[in-house]
Amino acid sequence: MGRGRYVLQKVGWAIVTVLVVIVFNFFLFRVLPGDPARSGARDPRLTEESVAALQERFGLDKPQFLDLDGGNPFDTQFFAYFGALATGDLGISYAFSDQSVADLLGQALVNTIWLVLPAELIAIFLGILLGLLAAWRRGTKVDVGALGFSLFLWSLPTFFLGIVLLYVGSRWLGLPVAGRVTIGASFTDIWNQIGDVASHLLLPTLTLTLVLVGEYMLIMRSSVVDVLSEDYILTAKAKGLSTFQIIKDHALRNAMLPMVTIIALNLGFAVSGAIQVETVFSWPGLGLLTVQAVDQRDYPVLQGAFLLLAISVVVANLFAELVYGWLDPRIEEA
Amino acid sequence: MRRFRLSPMGIVGVAMILLTVIVAVFAPLIAPYDPYETVRVTIMDIYQPPSALHWLGTDDGGKDVFSALVYGSRVSLIVGFAAAFIALVVGGALGLIAGYYRKLGGAIMRFTDFFLVIPDLALLIVIVAVIGPSLGNIILVIGLLGWTTTARLVRSQTLSVRERGFVRRARAVGASDPHILSHHVFPLVLPLMLANTVLVISLAILSESTLAFIGLGDPLLISWGKMLNLAFTRGAVSAGAWWALLPPGLAIVWVVLGTTLLGTALEELLNPKLIRHHLEKEKPLKVRPASLLPPKPELILEVRGLSVGYESPGGVLTAVEDVGFELRRGEVLGLVGESGCGKTTAVMGALRLLPPSGQVTAGEVLFEGQDLTRLDADSLRDLRWKRLAVVFQGAMNALNPVRRVGDQITEAIRLHEPSVSQGAADDRAKRLLQRVGIGPERINDYPHTLSGGMRQRAMIALALACEPALIIADEPTTALDVMIQAQILELLAELVDEMDMSMIVVTHDLGVVAQTCDRVVVMYGGMVAEQGLAAEVFASPSHPYTQLLLEAFPDMDHPDRPLVAIPGAPPRLNELPPGCRFAPRCPFVFDRCRTEQPPLYWAGESSAASCFLLEAPLQPVGDGDDV
Amino acid sequence: MSERTPVLEVEDIAVQFATSRSMFDGVRRRPVRVVRAVDGVSFTVAPGEVLAVVGESGCGKTTTANLILGLIPPTSGRVVVAGDDLAMLDKDAMRAKRRRLQMIFQDPYESLNPRMKVGDIVAEPLRVHKVPTDRADERHRVERALVQAGLSPPDVYWDRHPHQLSGGQRQRVVIAAALALEPQVLIADEPVSMLDVSIRAEILNLLARLASEQGIAVLMITHDLSTVAAYSHRVAVMYLGRVVEIGPTTEVLTSPRHPYTEALLSVVPVPDPARRTRPIVLVGETPDPSRIAPGCRFHPRCPRAFDQCPIVDPPLETVGTDHLAACLLNSR
Repeated sequence: MGRGRYVLQKVGWAIVTVLVVIVFNFFLFRVLPGDPARSGARDPRLTEESVAALQERFGLDKPQFLDLDGGNPFDTQFFAYFGALATGDLGISYAFSDQSVADLLGQALVNTIWLVLPAELIAIFLGILLGLLAAWRRGTKVDVGALGFSLFLWSLPTFFLGIVLLYVGSRWLGLPVAGRVTIGASFTDIWNQIGDVASHLLLPTLTLTLVLVGEYMLIMRSSVVDVLSEDYILTAKAKGLSTFQIIKDHALRNAMLPMVTIIALNLGFAVSGAIQVETVFSWPGLGLLTVQAVDQRDYPVLQGAFLLLAISVVVANLFAELVYGWLDPRIEEA
Repeated sequence: MRRFRLSPMGIVGVAMILLTVIVAVFAPLIAPYDPYETVRVTIMDIYQPPSALHWLGTDDGGKDVFSALVYGSRVSLIVGFAAAFIALVVGGALGLIAGYYRKLGGAIMRFTDFFLVIPDLALLIVIVAVIGPSLGNIILVIGLLGWTTTARLVRSQTLSVRERGFVRRARAVGASDPHILSHHVFPLVLPLMLANTVLVISLAILSESTLAFIGLGDPLLISWGKMLNLAFTRGAVSAGAWWALLPPGLAIVWVVLGTTLLGTALEELLNPKLIRHHLEKEKPLKVRPASLLPPKPELILEVRGLSVGYESPGGVLTAVEDVGFELRRGEVLGLVGESGCGKTTAVMGALRLLPPSGQVTAGEVLFEGQDLTRLDADSLRDLRWKRLAVVFQGAMNALNPVRRVGDQITEAIRLHEPSVSQGAADDRAKRLLQRVGIGPERINDYPHTLSGGMRQRAMIALALACEPALIIADEPTTALDVMIQAQILELLAELVDEMDMSMIVVTHDLGVVAQTCDRVVVMYGGMVAEQGLAAEVFASPSHPYTQLLLEAFPDMDHPDRPLVAIPGAPPRLNELPPGCRFAPRCPFVFDRCRTEQPPLYWAGESSAASCFLLEAPLQPVGDGDDV
Repeated sequence: MSERTPVLEVEDIAVQFATSRSMFDGVRRRPVRVVRAVDGVSFTVAPGEVLAVVGESGCGKTTTANLILGLIPPTSGRVVVAGDDLAMLDKDAMRAKRRRLQMIFQDPYESLNPRMKVGDIVAEPLRVHKVPTDRADERHRVERALVQAGLSPPDVYWDRHPHQLSGGQRQRVVIAAALALEPQVLIADEPVSMLDVSIRAEILNLLARLASEQGIAVLMITHDLSTVAAYSHRVAVMYLGRVVEIGPTTEVLTSPRHPYTEALLSVVPVPDPARRTRPIVLVGETPDPSRIAPGCRFHPRCPRAFDQCPIVDPPLETVGTDHLAACLLNSR
C-alpha cells in the first residue's frame, strides 16, 4: 500500500512538473523582453512563405492566454501551442533549412544519450568506488589525495577541461577533434565504422566523466563516513563481522541512499556538462543544437531543445526517486 | 564561544581570492596595455607566442593576452559577488520564511523543487539569449537562478533552529514571530548562510564564464570566458596557441578553487561534522607489559588498571583511569555513575569498541583467561557475540534501518556457526524473538516499524543469538517509559537466570542496580569510587560520594524524605582535579584530598572505596588481592 | 492550602487532533483517526501549591501544559487563570496574561540560546513584554530574578554564555528568566529529568521554595513519581488524556486507589537490594491516544479488571479527603 502510494505520488509530481515546464516554456518565449516570436518573424533569413507559416503557427494576432472578449475563449496562442505539442509538432526551424524541429531534436537526443549515458555510468561507478575507499581510509594519504583531486575537478570549468583534452588529444595523440564520424571517410566494414565513432566519443566522454566523477566521489565519501559513524556499524563490529563484511552488508546500501538523491538532483548538472562538452567537440547532440540555436536566434529549436532537456531531467529524476523508494524500506511508512 | 579559527584550506582560499581582488582593483596599473583600446594589427601580430613584449603572447586580434587576463578578473568578480548577493537576499529571505512558517514553506519549497529539476545552464542560456547578454542581465539571471540552493539550506537550518528549546521557550514567554525570527533564528542561521554564499560565488563565476564561452557574454566587456570563446572559435587549437587558451582557463580555476576552498572551510568550521568513524584503523595499543598474575578461573571477566584516553584538540583527555573490577560466572555487575563518569567508556574500552578518537592507554582485560587488549583482530572477532555480546541502547540507532530484524539476527548466527543452515537460523531467530516478547511473524519487519520498547527487545534477542557467556547492557532502559523500563529489566533478569549468563549493566540509575545486580562498581570522574557486593555497598556505603548519591536518590518507601543535593557539578574531562576527583564537592574534604589521589582501601567484607578517610586502620588493597 | 482561592483552574478541558490526512486518504475515503490527546481534565492549583502531574508518554500531560499556556486552544472546557477565562481574552489581554504564566522546559542544555549572555537571556522576557521602564529598572529586575533563582552574586553570571555553566546552573537561568516576569503560575515540564541525580534536589528545592515563599502556583509535569514525591503537595496521575487519580501526595503514594497508580508506584526501582520488590509490570506498549478502549480506558492493561470495566467508563469519585480516583473497584 505505502509503496504504491509513494510511486503514485512521485509520478504525479513528475507530471505536474512537466506541465509547469510546458507552460513556463510558452511564457518564457513570449513575455520576456525581446519577444522571439515577433522578432523572429522579422528575421531577414526567412522566406515569405516561412514568415506566413510562422505567423499562422504562432497565431500572433490571437490573444495570448484566454480570449475573454467574446469568441472562442480557447482559440488563443497558448492553446494552439498546447494543441501542437500534443501532436508532437514543435514547429519548423528557421536556420536548418526548414527542417521540422521534432526531427532535429530526435536525432540530437540520440547522440546526446550516447555521450551522457556511458559518462554518467562510468562516473557513478568510479565515484562510488573512490568515495568508498576514501571514506574507509579517512584521514590517510589516499583520502587526502582523493579529496584534493575532486576539489580540483570541481573547480575546473567543463568547457576548459574539454579544450585542454582536445588540445592534447588532437595535437599529440592524433584523435579526431570534432563531430561524430570522420567526414568523407569510407568504411570497409561495420567494425571500422564503430571504431571511428568510438574514437570520436572518447574525448567527450572522458571530459564529462571527469567532471562528474569528482562530485560523486565527494558525496559518496561524506555519505559513507556518515554511515560508518552510525551506531549500527558499532553493533556490526561488536558482532564480529570483518571490515569487508561490514562495508558490504551494512554500509553500502545505507550510503547509497543519499547518493541516489544526489545523482538525481545532479542530472541537471550532467546536462550542463553535456552542453559544454558538445560545444567544444562539436558533438551533434542537444547541447550543440541549443548553442547553435542561440547563435542563429533559431527560437523554435531553442524552445524545443529546452523543453526536451527539461523533460529528460524530470524523467531521469523520477527514475532515481523510484530507485530510492526501492532501496529504502522506510518509504513504506512515509 | 568557540574561537574562530580557519583551517589551512580556508586560509589558502582567502589568499587566492585576495590576490584576485587586488589584481582586479589595480588592473590599469598592472596591465601593460589597455585591452579596450583599438589598435591596428597586422597578420603578423596574431597568436604571437610569449615574449618580453607580450608576457603571455597575443590573441586572435593581436592583442596582449596578459592585459586581457588582468582586466578579465573584473567581470568574474563583479558577476560572482553581485549574483551571490542577490541569491543571498532572495534565497535567505525565502528560506527563513519557508522554514519558519511551515504551511507557506511547503508551497515555497514546491516552487524551488521545480527549479531543482530544470537544467540550470539550459535555462540560463535560454533566458540570456532572449533578454540579451548585458552584464546587468547576466548578473540578475545568475543571481535569481542561484537562490534555490541558498533557500534550501537556510530552510533546513531554520527548521532545526525553530524546534530548538530556546525558540520554544521564547514562544512560551510570549515573544512574537518577528522577535523570534530576528533574535533567535536569524543570528543562528546567518553564519552558515554566509558560508554558503561563498560557494554560490564560485558557482556564479563558473556560470558566467560558461555563458561567455558559449557566446553569451556581455559583448562590450572582456572576460575570461569570452577570451576562451574567441581563441577557441578562431583557431587557437590548430595554431597551437596554447598561451591564448591556458591562462584564461587557469584563471577561472584559480578563482573558483579559491572560493570553493574558503566556502568548504567555512562550512566545516560552522557545522563540524563527526568525521571519525567506527572502521578506522585501531591505533596500536599502548599498554603496559602484562602483569605476571595468572587469571583466576572462577572469574569470567577481570579488568585490571584500565585507562582510556580521548584525543582532543587540546591533547589527550583521560576519561577512565586505573579502573579495575571482577565478575564471577553467573553474576550481574552494575557499573553506575553520573554522566561523564566514564562508565560506558570503561566497558567499551575493555571490549575494544571505543570510538576512533579513544584509546586504551593502560591495563589488562582478562576474559575467560584471554587478555582482550592484546588479542589479535581475528581471534577477537571469533570471540565477539559468540562469547561476548552487547545490548546497545535500542532507542538509538543500534539496528541497521535498511535490514530486516530477523536478517540481522541470523547474520550473527551464521557468522559464528557456519554449520547452521539458513532455515535453522531463521527458526532460532523466531524462537528468540518470541522469547523476548515479539511475535515471530515480525521476523521480516524493519526496525522502524517497531516501537522503542520493541526495538530494545529486538536488540536483546540479537544479543542472545549465539548464547554468549557474557552480556554487556549499556543503559538498556534509558529513554524508555517507566513501565517499558520495568518490562525490559524483568526480561533481562529472567534471561540471565535461564541461560546461565553473566551480565554487566551500565546505568546511571541506582535503583536499577539495587534491583538487578549482585555486585556494584560506583564510578566518579573516570575512577572507581567504591565497589563491592551490592548488598554491602548499599547497606553501608563507605565513600562520601556513594553515601550522598544514595541520599540524592528517591526511595518510594519513604516518599516524604527530601532528597540531598551534592553541591557543584561532576568534573569535566579537561579540568579534572589533581587529587581525589570528588574533593571539590566532598563535605569531608581535607588538604591531602586536594593533592593526592587516594588508593582503594578495604571498607568491609567485600567492599573497597577510594577515600583517605578509610586509611587508618585499614590497609590499602594490594595488587592481586580479591576485591 | 486548598481552601485558598485557586489561581489556576482547569475545567473539563479536552483537545482532539485529526491524524494528518493526505490527498490520497481523502480520495480513498479513509476515515479520519481522531487523537484524543486530552479528554476531559479538571484540576485547580492554589497560590503557593505544587501540583505534580504524572504519567507515561502520550498520557496528555504536555498537551495539558500547552493548553494552560494558551499555545493551543482547547476543543472544549476552559482554563481560568486568576479569574480570567483564557478563551475570553482578547489579544492584548492574553499577552498580559502570558506574563503571569511561565514555563520551564525539560532540557536546560537546549533551552538557552548559545549566542546570548545570561543577562540578556533573563532580560528577554522583560523586553518582550515591555516591562522595564529604563535600563536601570531592567538591570534591577534581572538581578533580582537571578538572586531568586540562586545565582548570586548576579554580576558573576551576567556576562557568561550558557556553555560556561553547568547543567544545574543553566536550569537556574531558565527559572530566573521565568521569574523575571513575576509569574503567578509556573509550569515545570520535567524540570530535572535531564539533570544528574546529584543536582536534582537543588532545582526541586528551589521550585518548592518559590512556591512557599512567593506564593507561586507550580505545576510540575513528570513521568517520574519518585523524584517529585517529596516536593509536591498534591499529585494527579494521568492515563490516556484523563486524570485517573488525584489527591494529597502522601496519601496517593502510600494508599493509591487506582490500579494504574499502584502499578506506576510498584515499578519505581527501590535503591536497596535488601528490599527487592515484586513490581506489577503491566503488559503491552505505551498506550496510543488514537486507540482508546471503550469503558474504562485502562481496562485492557489492568491486572484487576472485571466484567463491568469494558462497559462502564468510571468517573472521578471522592475516595478520601481531597482524594479522587476513577476506578469501579472503589464503588464495589
